[in-house]
Amino acid sequence: MSTETDFKALWTKQSTSEIPDTKELLVKAQKLKTSTRNKLLGLNLVLLATMVFIIYIGLNIDNEKLTTKIGIVLIAIAIVSYLAASNQMIPMLFKTDLETSSQEYLAQLIRIKRKQEFLNKVMINVYFILLSAGLFLYMLQFLERMNPVWATIYLVLTFGWIALAWFYLRPRGMRKKQRALNDMIARLEEVNEQLGS
Amino acid sequence: MIFDDIYKTYWNKVFRICMGYVNDYDWANDIAQETFVTVWQQLPKFRQESAIGTWIFRIASNHCLRQIERQNRMPRSEMPEQIIDHIEPDKEPQVQFLYKCIAELPETDRLIISLELEDVKQAEIAKIVGLSETNIRVKVYRIKERLSKKFENYEH
Repeated sequence: MSTETDFKALWTKQSTSEIPDTKELLVKAQKLKTSTRNKLLGLNLVLLATMVFIIYIGLNIDNEKLTTKIGIVLIAIAIVSYLAASNQMIPMLFKTDLETSSQEYLAQLIRIKRKQEFLNKVMINVYFILLSAGLFLYMLQFLERMNPVWATIYLVLTFGWIALAWFYLRPRGMRKKQRALNDMIARLEEVNEQLGS
Repeated sequence: MIFDDIYKTYWNKVFRICMGYVNDYDWANDIAQETFVTVWQQLPKFRQESAIGTWIFRIASNHCLRQIERQNRMPRSEMPEQIIDHIEPDKEPQVQFLYKCIAELPETDRLIISLELEDVKQAEIAKIVGLSETNIRVKVYRIKERLSKKFENYEH
């Protein structure tokens, strides 16, 4: 009995949910928009505030040393480059072109994941190196003013923290993200291959 | 074209396609809603290069495919019984079985057969999915064969 008409008849027999009110739908659309915008705004604000704070301090202490200035510039570059990368990324993440064919859409998703993978790898490293170098140069001036014992403790603690972050926290976080991204890419490619056969 | 008219005309169709894709009433409802949010947002930019139906089905299909990104959702089989049964969308076992079989197909096949059963022309399906018409014809034939076999086993 399983003929084509049967399938079509059965298919349309599926009860569908009631049409949500148009207003409800539009509220949902608005919420989606604001939540995306807020995420972007939040990240930018935190990083920009940090930068402003660093520059403010940098300007307000009497720093004749060039290293301090270079340090400040490096920290600022680190933050700005991170912002530039993530700002470019976030709208792209949400703005996939839903109006293309499935095949193109899947290719789009894969492309985005690859970019995300790249961003994840490169940007974290760049951000980290610039920030650490900046911090170190910035600190030199303060180290000079301390007595040798405190200066040593200060240095050991700072470098200890940087080393911990670089050798432990960074790879761990990266690996986790990488694994999730790779799984996703493999999954998307698998679906894309369904269209190839 | 006015959004309200489109919404009323296409809601059931879009809902069924989402249902074929995920076979989960609430989830299908969510995807259908997301689809119409996109339709509402993009409608002013819609330039009638394709039929409105094709355009809407493209958006719906891509919203379905997008669910791949969200597969950390708990698979239905792992949910406790009482949660699964809280809505009984359709009492007719054959209808349920058809949707179950479709949702078990590979992702793109789910979309192709759903569109076919929704009476979308194969030329249009080709445009929606991004394959040639011949390709679609072959695929539809194979999928139907597969479904028929499942139904034969089910009935005997």
